[in-house]
Amino acid sequence: MSTPAWIRPATLKEALTMRRDYNARPLAGATDIYVRHRAATGTLPPLEDRPVLYVGHLPELTSISEDGKGWLRIGAATVYTDILEHPDTPLLLRRAIEELAAPALRNAGTLGGNIGNASPAADAVCALYALHAEVDLAGHAGERRVPIAQLITGPGKTTVGADELITAVSVPMDRPGSFHYYRKAGTRRANALSKIAFCAGGTVLEGRLTGLGVAVGAVGPTIVHSRDLEVRAEGSDLARYRKLQQEESAPGGFLTARYMALISPISDQRSTDAYRRRVTENLLRDLFERTIPTLLSGKAG
Amino acid sequence: MKNEIRFSLNGKEETLPGDPRRRLIDVLREDFGLTSIKEGCGEGECGACSILVDGRVIDSCILPAGAVEDRTVETLESIRETERGEKIVQALTRGGGVQCGFCIPGMAVSIESLLRTNPRPDEHAIREGISGNLCRCTGYQQIVEGVAAIEHVEGDNS
Amino acid sequence: MSHPVEQHPVTKTVERVDAREKARGETRYLADIPFPGRLFARVVRARIVRGEVVARNTPSLPEGYILVTADDIPAGGKNCVRMIEDDWPVFSEGTVRYYGEPLALLVGPDRATLAHLTEQCERAVEFRQQEAALTIEDALLCRGGAIHGTDNVYCDYQVVKGDPDGAMAGAARTIEGEYRTGFQEHVYIEPQSLVGTREEGRVTIYISTQCPFYVRKAVATALGLPQEEVVIIQTPTGGGFGGKEHYPDVLATTVAVALTRIDGPIELILDRMEDLEVTSKRHPSRVRYKAGLDEAGRISAFDVDIAFDGGAYESSSRVVLQRGMFSSNSVYEFPHVRVRGRAVATNSAPSDAFRGFGAPQGLFAAEMFLSRLAREIGVDDLDLRKDYLLQQGSTTMTGGRIHEEVKLPEMLEHVLRVSDYRRKREAYAAAARDNGANGTDGAASAKPLGGIGLALFKHGSAFTGSGEQEIIKARVRIRKRADGRPELLVSNVEIGQGVLTTFCKIVAQVLEIPYTDVVYDDHNTSHVPDSGPTCASRSVAVVGYLLQEAAKKLKGRLHEPGEFEVEQVYKHPEHLRWDAGTLSGDAYPSYSWGVNCIEVAVDPLTWEVDVRGVWTAYELGRAIDEEIVRGQIIGGAIQALGYAGLEKMENPEGRFLQRTMADYCIPTSLDYPGVDYALFDNPYPWGPFGAKGGGEVVFDGIGPAYAAAVQQAIGREVTRLPVTPEYISELVHEK
Repeated sequence: MSTPAWIRPATLKEALTMRRDYNARPLAGATDIYVRHRAATGTLPPLEDRPVLYVGHLPELTSISEDGKGWLRIGAATVYTDILEHPDTPLLLRRAIEELAAPALRNAGTLGGNIGNASPAADAVCALYALHAEVDLAGHAGERRVPIAQLITGPGKTTVGADELITAVSVPMDRPGSFHYYRKAGTRRANALSKIAFCAGGTVLEGRLTGLGVAVGAVGPTIVHSRDLEVRAEGSDLARYRKLQQEESAPGGFLTARYMALISPISDQRSTDAYRRRVTENLLRDLFERTIPTLLSGKAG
Repeated sequence: MKNEIRFSLNGKEETLPGDPRRRLIDVLREDFGLTSIKEGCGEGECGACSILVDGRVIDSCILPAGAVEDRTVETLESIRETERGEKIVQALTRGGGVQCGFCIPGMAVSIESLLRTNPRPDEHAIREGISGNLCRCTGYQQIVEGVAAIEHVEGDNS
Repeated sequence: MSHPVEQHPVTKTVERVDAREKARGETRYLADIPFPGRLFARVVRARIVRGEVVARNTPSLPEGYILVTADDIPAGGKNCVRMIEDDWPVFSEGTVRYYGEPLALLVGPDRATLAHLTEQCERAVEFRQQEAALTIEDALLCRGGAIHGTDNVYCDYQVVKGDPDGAMAGAARTIEGEYRTGFQEHVYIEPQSLVGTREEGRVTIYISTQCPFYVRKAVATALGLPQEEVVIIQTPTGGGFGGKEHYPDVLATTVAVALTRIDGPIELILDRMEDLEVTSKRHPSRVRYKAGLDEAGRISAFDVDIAFDGGAYESSSRVVLQRGMFSSNSVYEFPHVRVRGRAVATNSAPSDAFRGFGAPQGLFAAEMFLSRLAREIGVDDLDLRKDYLLQQGSTTMTGGRIHEEVKLPEMLEHVLRVSDYRRKREAYAAAARDNGANGTDGAASAKPLGGIGLALFKHGSAFTGSGEQEIIKARVRIRKRADGRPELLVSNVEIGQGVLTTFCKIVAQVLEIPYTDVVYDDHNTSHVPDSGPTCASRSVAVVGYLLQEAAKKLKGRLHEPGEFEVEQVYKHPEHLRWDAGTLSGDAYPSYSWGVNCIEVAVDPLTWEVDVRGVWTAYELGRAIDEEIVRGQIIGGAIQALGYAGLEKMENPEGRFLQRTMADYCIPTSLDYPGVDYALFDNPYPWGPFGAKGGGEVVFDGIGPAYAAAVQQAIGREVTRLPVTPEYISELVHEK
């Protein structure tokens, strides 16, 4: 039997079989794949002769549910508009989705697609890093759950197995004390690609910072983040936070300096390395010198 | 697997011709003659190829045709024959919203998509609703004003 | 909006004749028209920036596919695209001057095969590459050897008024400045599109274009045919902005040559990426100023040196340059002036017409330099401008006269009032003094930095100098049809600007009939006389006037039996004089005038600019249709805001980096706010019901007003367009 060009499985189980048997390329909204493999008018997109595995219709991949432990599980093929409309979507993710594209793209694009394509500039994926999202994968060997940062290893590179599918993304829901910080410097105000995507979140309750997440997109080959630095700030009250910040006398303190050391921006058709560096530093300082101290001092409005 | 791909197009059940990987814009324009859909960029940026899939606006130039199996596709050809469609056409026509016109059918589809979920959008919601439809002539303002003046149409929003 | 004068009936808004059909998606643009048996074409392009073809190892083609090259140009024809000069070749015969230059045209039935073959053909060409010249400086140094002539200079003009050398030598003080602007791509939403075929034996081109007779001339020249043997039919055109003024000639000639081998129909529609990469762009510019001040601090001498990057072939660079030169004194009168202008050759895609046609570059530099002068002299920006404003009877920099009453003072007062300019300007200056935040980086404060800026400007309607009487010689006819309806026979076309409606309104107003009774739907060069191209803000101002005059001849005759025609030919107003040799006299028959004000807030963290308000005032003679004019004002402003702040196109290595619409960003509906406007009536005696041009002046002033606002916000001098966040952050980090 010849290899089919387009596969539409009836169930997730069938999808996994097809994925393994044909090395099929999973596709839901096509907003990444059909742009990267752009077809001229009246022609087929050059898809390297790998069959397409359409998964946009599978109920297992398109539902959103709470897990009862404060996490929201979002099906990998859920379109952005549905994520935006869900009442429990964390604000940070919501902000990133609102600004990531125009309605037509939000009506087609999915988290699974953005994660699978591993673009270092993907706004929603950047928010997932800051939220410490976990990704569910299904394969013939069974299911596994991986922190987002461990799944993506390089531009366009992930550890998703050749027989696996991304099935869902889980994010912690906002709770009392949750804060989010989202800034995007785009090529324009709407429907824009990011020159820099900057996401941060965490919780400040009774003057203590927990669960800090910071992620910066489009300033390195992958989204920049640091579990170590986040852990260093864990549990800080204002005094301890200030002490941490004083460990380095650089502008913006210890955290700014350490994050600046992690970024490696380049000049490309959208922006320059100098601009990316300066703006990242400005945003880090705004977060670490103003936003977090204000939250910790309980003066937030 | 079925060899026939069925979908609903402007209220009629149709069978998808050819390879499911074809761009939906090519299928609709060339096989079904729906030339209200324009190709401006072929990369999902300009919105001239906007159509509704299950009632929501989507760029048909970056959508594989197979993705609409068992789904409902509407184009301006059917929208313009409805009461709200006619109001959209008038909103664009009377307020100076049309210049060269090439982006306008896609714009009208986005407006329809917006009004189905938000029948009385304010200026920001309108600007947000058409933010994926690039217009190089008008600067958008007369389009926005025209839509803001549309009276709410009761009816089927599904 | 305001109406200082009671509205003339012709100004009253009507429903555009083409709007409903367009809004219903029923208008058929070229790609929507069925052509049975249609073949497809693709241009085979050079994939190097500069060099010579060493070998073409053309692959063998499957049956039904042909490769058309310069060798196919028939005897009597010429391998050139005839614009102003016999300029760029239809197909390169070996020399490659820019990335993507056409080498051949592939024609065949299947698009996927064609795409594959095009790539094969392109890969099969071997080149010897040469060092490219990519900037004005490269061009003047003849980097890599001269591209054009011996010095890379397409044209070198000088305009002298008074005694600039004497005045400069006697100056107590001199002040200098240098200003630069970048490329801009038109991004008409309908890409370049055409179908070539043979109908009744004649080469017939259906095409999205602003200028059907330009296409006819180019095709006839390439094929060596009498012009009457070539038929051009303009199809509804999805935007032009100058990008479909000459560029359609470049594509039409390739298909026309193919028609010598195969009958067609042959469709050539550029893919958007191809369109962005290879079509003409707005000229990048470098403008240097030197002003001489006398003891009293008055500007006595004004010296300007303008260089435009014309790209790989000349196209209309000389005329664009002239308009840039004639805009370089903006709306001010100085006693002693020298303006030198050069258009130079580089290895970029040829630069050509774009709304404003050189004026936006000249006006940006002029207005920014005036600001520098005010700062250096220590006077208020506005006061300085008012001191030198042109007025009725003033002598222009080319020694012509300002014939009309100049309403700039009242327009300026209006804009100052509605924008609350004076109070805001002072408040922003005070805020900057108080918090010292201007110019520091975002660590100090995340509070936006405010600024407000103004620009004054003018735009000459119609062709430069004697162009209308000596080159265009426009001719219009109105046919009284057997059914009693008047039919307009002109070559001007609808590209979105509303001419289908405004022309009908002008004629209907004269004939006192409903505008919907006027017929204007024939855009075939074998049916209509040549009333000139659709460009240069001339359609309403010049051709509309001819139609008004022709309609007067028809008045009272609509009830006569049968069919007959009346004709009107362009006559230059007698009070105008022009010497093309010395570039002296009345550079334009009339001017449209404008004042723009823009308020911004600059984010000190990301250096992104938020436009808070846009206030405009225009004197366009008289508006033929208020809503149409308003559409030009808003659309022009938003397009110019893109030019001023967003739209960046760079080719550091020769190939443009921004090749998709995701990377070359034009404004969306969320980028800019609404545009406030006011129209000041000032009927022009040689315009239809007093109208002058309005399509381009609405672009001209936004760049300098935007730059002036950002300049105040960041406390640094802005000397370049576009003012991107990257550029702002560089400015802030300097020194």
